[in-house]
Amino acid sequence: MKEESREKRIKKPSGDTLSALVMVGPVTLIMVLLVAVPLIYVAVMSFCSIDEYYNVIPRFTPENYERLLDADYLKIYARSVFIAFITTVLCILIGYPFSYVIARTASRKKKILYMLVIIPFWTNSLIRIYGWRSFLGSSGWLNSLLISLHIVSEPIELLYKNGTTILGMTYCLIPFMILPMYTAIEKLDGSLLEASSDLGAKPAATFFEVILPLTSSGIFSGSLMVFIPCLGYFFVSDILGGGNSDMIGNLIERQFQSGNNWPLGAALSIVLIVLTLVLVKLYQKLGGDMDALGV
Amino acid sequence: MMKKLVSVMTSILMVSMLLCGCGGSKAKNGELNVFIWTEYVSESAIKAFEDEYGIKVNVSTYSSNEDMLSKLKSESEGTYDVLLPSDYAVEYLIAQDKLEKIDRQVMTNLSCISDAYLDQPYDPGNEYSVPYEGGVACIAVNTAKVDKEITGYADLFDPALAGQEVVLDDNRAVIGMTARSMGYSMNETDRAKLAEIQDKLLTLKENVKLYDSDSPKSALISGDCTVGMIWSAEVALAMDENPDIKIVYPKEGAYVFLDNWVVPKGAKNYDNAMKFINYMLSPEAAKMNIADFPYLCPNSEALAQMGDEYVSNTAKNVPADVISGGEFVKYLDPDTLAVYDEMWTKLKE
Amino acid sequence: MDKKKNKGLKKKISVAYCTLVYLFLFLPISVIVVNSFNATTTKPYMSWKGFTLDWYVKLWDNSSLLEAFGNTMIIAGVSTLLATVIGTLGAIGMYRYRFRGRAIVDGLLYIPVVIPEIVLGISLLTIFAKADIPRGMLTLILAHVTFCIPFVIFNVRARLAGYDISIEEASMDLGANRRTTFFEVTLPVLAPGILGGALLAFTISIDDVIISYFVYGQTKTYPLKVMESVKSGVAPDVNALSTLILIGTVIFVVLTQGDLFNKKRA
Repeated sequence: MKEESREKRIKKPSGDTLSALVMVGPVTLIMVLLVAVPLIYVAVMSFCSIDEYYNVIPRFTPENYERLLDADYLKIYARSVFIAFITTVLCILIGYPFSYVIARTASRKKKILYMLVIIPFWTNSLIRIYGWRSFLGSSGWLNSLLISLHIVSEPIELLYKNGTTILGMTYCLIPFMILPMYTAIEKLDGSLLEASSDLGAKPAATFFEVILPLTSSGIFSGSLMVFIPCLGYFFVSDILGGGNSDMIGNLIERQFQSGNNWPLGAALSIVLIVLTLVLVKLYQKLGGDMDALGV
Repeated sequence: MMKKLVSVMTSILMVSMLLCGCGGSKAKNGELNVFIWTEYVSESAIKAFEDEYGIKVNVSTYSSNEDMLSKLKSESEGTYDVLLPSDYAVEYLIAQDKLEKIDRQVMTNLSCISDAYLDQPYDPGNEYSVPYEGGVACIAVNTAKVDKEITGYADLFDPALAGQEVVLDDNRAVIGMTARSMGYSMNETDRAKLAEIQDKLLTLKENVKLYDSDSPKSALISGDCTVGMIWSAEVALAMDENPDIKIVYPKEGAYVFLDNWVVPKGAKNYDNAMKFINYMLSPEAAKMNIADFPYLCPNSEALAQMGDEYVSNTAKNVPADVISGGEFVKYLDPDTLAVYDEMWTKLKE
Repeated sequence: MDKKKNKGLKKKISVAYCTLVYLFLFLPISVIVVNSFNATTTKPYMSWKGFTLDWYVKLWDNSSLLEAFGNTMIIAGVSTLLATVIGTLGAIGMYRYRFRGRAIVDGLLYIPVVIPEIVLGISLLTIFAKADIPRGMLTLILAHVTFCIPFVIFNVRARLAGYDISIEEASMDLGANRRTTFFEVTLPVLAPGILGGALLAFTISIDDVIISYFVYGQTKTYPLKVMESVKSGVAPDVNALSTLILIGTVIFVVLTQGDLFNKKRA
């Protein structure tokens, strides 16, 4: 045993290569084979054609991208971006004060409050979205309550609108906003705030000039983690939007399922990737830390 | 702490293995992977088959023929053993040589099927397919909430019905219905006519509240929608729940379909598939199926046993003249289908 | 005096506000829990027909639902394990060694985290279809490992940032070999990061529906089963299982989380 280890140490260079290979090899292999190669393949496919039986054939065509410049597609992109934007804003507005309060409560209670944010998200997201549908429907809880209280006589129509989709998206994605903001706010030094108010700053000034800049990193990474998935969550607009307000995700899903036109779906995905890259670049420009996204 | 976490994780894993074991224990005579429409084949019929034959049936579902064709193409050969495509999809699959022949030796129950449904143009001589159930895409109206008299597809475009309709999430059905409302065919390929159809189709946009192929009855029963362009049995089931709902067979002639059992090329469990299909043709299975999903039933023996109440219910047992006056969907060339897809995107944008 | 009153009011407002947000978060869950006791037996299971516990019994007859849940647990368990091992090794390796292509691997790691899941889903679908790998447990696990690894790596890396590599040297100088050093020195220091990453990976894996949707073949996971039942109306037994899972989750949190937080503070 001891001999072996000494030998290893003597042959340090080759041992190092070996252990480097063992450590970094698997992750490299997976990232290349299951992330890089598939994405490159999708990019190639987006320039391919289909034959009469919808098989992808390697005949170059820019047609898939030309189709995407159609006004209908542009409208759907615009709506997707709009819905994602509103969702992000809502998540910030609802989430910030909330994160602020829980991040600054006394430590014992804080843990519980924090876990209470996470627990709902351990229940399957589809069934929770369906829960909203049961709640908001014409014969759902809300309408039944309003009718029995004689506030309304006819059920109000709440389902299958853009607003319903936004509600569902906000609901699904808000933890991705709350958690990074919570982390950022928790790091705030309490004495800094005291100093600010001791120096005569009004609460508003303290907020805008001290608190907000110090916690903006949380808002930025939260926004990225809300905005981008929002573009792809096709099931939310399916279940709550009623299928009449498609988003980019629905378009892609349709081309890979019933539409059966993979090259077109691939082109749509590439558009979505480009959009994502632009947003990530913007995030980095604003000083966002990439590592903060996965923690 | 780490030990605790690991032990909790391990116990979760063990419990789940146990659960899997429970699920798999039935498979003494192998398995069968069936890929069928949602809300179409009775769970009790499948369960009865499993119990009788000791074969474990894995069910996957699809919402449109196009979904199924797409999935079939992207999966490896041998993923599915039994499919349930409609008429035109059967034709398409035969054309592509994607089906195994039916073993007539095993199909002892084929005699229960009425001749009217056999030897159809999409599969002459039933070499590759045997009929399951059929029906039409028709209209459901909640008469308590809608005053307007509705007689055909054309009425669905009335601006008075804005935001009230549930329609099938199926482009061939909705575009075809629009075409028929204008006196055109559901299988129109002429670009000028398709442009007209598109203009008309887009006027439907304001009226549709929900696209749902899987269970459109739900929105009618809950009251979220008051009018529907949906499958006939879905109307029948909604009528059972709410007597205010009435069925309307469109005067323009309805979208008619007949769905069929087929076995895809390379199926791994061909023999089990034959047993399954033959079982589904039996009167007992057919009765369970139409009890749960009351579509048009080609099984004349089952129909005879269901009694008058079923046979005289025009929503369940679709009248013969509705079928003969309707139109089947046909498979179209990819260029035309691309136009259909664009129209659909425009409608749903 | 005035200030004190002000503070009390502020506190009341913030408590009320947080309560509202928690209500928002838990509202659909209460719908699920209540519906699991609904005596209705006809699809789409919407109207309230009275209280029953039947669904908690019938649940155990629904073999396809239980199987799907079992699949989810196996996939999440195996993927988490694989992703944790591969990710931890990768994070340490990338921290320790400089090699060609390191920047590329580093860049690739961000992709599963930032791109919309649907893009990863369809790209895996196309490549699995091209390579003709039958969709099922294997492809599901491959997909889950792929999107779980980055989360493990980033968490471990956050821990490595404050890691003093000289303690490894010290350990070896004291006569410990590489393996002992790795297991006795390196790992314990990184443990909170590894655990955090694993927990995150597990959480994401059990709830994943979009990526699984494209690569499942015949192996249905619990979220996919739910997706199917959403189409025809979620049956009360699905609600019952969800309720049980929720209870299980809370127990799990209570059992492990208290300690986890203590450790983190240390």
